[in-house]
Amino acid sequence: MRVAFSKYFMVMRMTWIQALEYKANTIVGIFAVISGVLIEYILWDRIYETRGVEIINGFSLNQLIVYIFFGIMVGQLKSSWVTSFEMIECIRSGGLNKYLIRPVSFFSYHFSLFIGYNSLFYFSYFAMIILFQLIFPGWAFQTPIQAVAFIIFLSMAVYLSYSIYFLMICCAFWFGEVRTLILAFNLSNRIFTGSIIPLEFFQESILNIIFLTPLPYLVNIPVNIALGNISSLEWPQLFINGLIWVVVMTFLGQILYKIGIRKYEGFGG
Amino acid sequence: MSIQVNNISKEFKIFKREAGLKGAVKSFFNRKYEIFHALKSISLDINEGEIIGILGENGAGKTTLIKAMVGLLHPTSGSIFIDGFSPWERKNNFLKTVSIVMGQKNQLWWDIPASESFLLNQKIYQIPEKQFKSTLDEMLDLLDVRDKVNVQVRRLSLGERMKMEIISALLHRPKIVFLDEPTIGLDVTSQSRIREFITKHNEQYGTTFLLTSHYMNDIQALCKRVFIIHKGEGLYDGDFETLVKKINPKRRLQFEFSSNLKSLNVEKLINKPNVSINDQCLTAELPDNEMMDFLNQLFELDTPASFSFEELPVEETMKSFFANPEKFISKL
Repeated sequence: MRVAFSKYFMVMRMTWIQALEYKANTIVGIFAVISGVLIEYILWDRIYETRGVEIINGFSLNQLIVYIFFGIMVGQLKSSWVTSFEMIECIRSGGLNKYLIRPVSFFSYHFSLFIGYNSLFYFSYFAMIILFQLIFPGWAFQTPIQAVAFIIFLSMAVYLSYSIYFLMICCAFWFGEVRTLILAFNLSNRIFTGSIIPLEFFQESILNIIFLTPLPYLVNIPVNIALGNISSLEWPQLFINGLIWVVVMTFLGQILYKIGIRKYEGFGG
Repeated sequence: MSIQVNNISKEFKIFKREAGLKGAVKSFFNRKYEIFHALKSISLDINEGEIIGILGENGAGKTTLIKAMVGLLHPTSGSIFIDGFSPWERKNNFLKTVSIVMGQKNQLWWDIPASESFLLNQKIYQIPEKQFKSTLDEMLDLLDVRDKVNVQVRRLSLGERMKMEIISALLHRPKIVFLDEPTIGLDVTSQSRIREFITKHNEQYGTTFLLTSHYMNDIQALCKRVFIIHKGEGLYDGDFETLVKKINPKRRLQFEFSSNLKSLNVEKLINKPNVSINDQCLTAELPDNEMMDFLNQLFELDTPASFSFEELPVEETMKSFFANPEKFISKL
């Protein structure tokens, strides 16, 4: 266990060294959150004003903007489409060879890469949340335990999201090019995870279907925990449900990978 | 650590379509596949400490064979055992004893110095600190890249990068190393440095090397034994020098006359095939059994100012072999 951790920690360390060579990437990431929130603020401000209401689906404008602020951040942190594209390319063009010939797991190695590349976002978003807490005390994390629960649910969201992407990546063993699948998932993901609007904005029937999938655990639930919209009494059940999705997705991913690897042709010299 | 390859075959399903938009549309609805037999019942036994060359033209199946041996590909049939391990089970203990360098694929991280990739491999293979430092020091000196170890990989020349790839692959002191075109695109100095390094490493650690290369100088310098694949089939397994002799038993003679050629009757000599005269120098390419007679005739004609024998370039010999391997099969 210690050995496994040390090698994957080393992979993460490599990404930090590499990321420091490309500082602009992180600055762009922070800018994406701020500009995203600004755009949504302008849009929703007009909607609230035009409709002449103070509450829509239980959210005031301020509550909605805070939700969106957290939603975009969590959405960004769990998004691994860049890593996914690299992994698909590995399967397509034979780059997987370099993982198969070493005592490393393709899944864990790339998970470490994904966490590593996102690390600077974690630090910068953490700083943004601290700043937010100082400027708007009480709007989120009303109790310290909420912060702990948020970190736990966020970690679960990050891993679960990666596991779902991994399932799609494995399809490349059969179909070769599956980047469009990732793009399609990304698009629906932004809407149905609650990254750009709260899931509470959907009709009851659609909401029921969404809650039959792992999608709410990716953004909606962690954000609502941070904002105090979910009672602490519900956390254990949500945690168990989330954990079940984690186990199912991990298991399916490993099965698909094991079957897929037999079809792998390791192209290229 | 021995390698046993028993009757392995590998088939690929290849998608084929006509060229052009029409072909693309047709294939979208009705895809046509063909079965390509990349390896056909290959068997091979390799002993510990051997350096063996795998030869063949492009597409012959060399890389497929190596990929199957290292566990990257599942053969369609047959079995491979490397020190008792089945490669495609990819057990950690097996992966720690083998390594592969592919001339056209890299393992090093592109944007950071190679030293960082070496540290990563130290962790991946759990190399003790002392062994890591001593192995790295030794290899950096042998390959003459000590001053490049902290330079970003993308800023290195092709030769320097390949040397770093080799170091990275050998840091954990694997018992078997697969080298697929390790000198491709390198200048002669780098090629020679890599050859010397492989020889030393093999002598020092008893490492088994399996090498594919289109440069026959690599094969000649490193491999006593070669295995030739042609269209997926094993054509020859044995001594390289013997093979070269079988393909082309000729040697080249350079004979420099001391007397003026006009005063000598050389006509009957130069009428032979593979004999030519340039200024005072005669060049003849003949098999050993004809060479002595020919040389006697030359001595009867004139006292040489100088004369020498040389082997024909292996590159040319193998080129003629691969141009028409079927022609030579009966000789093998």
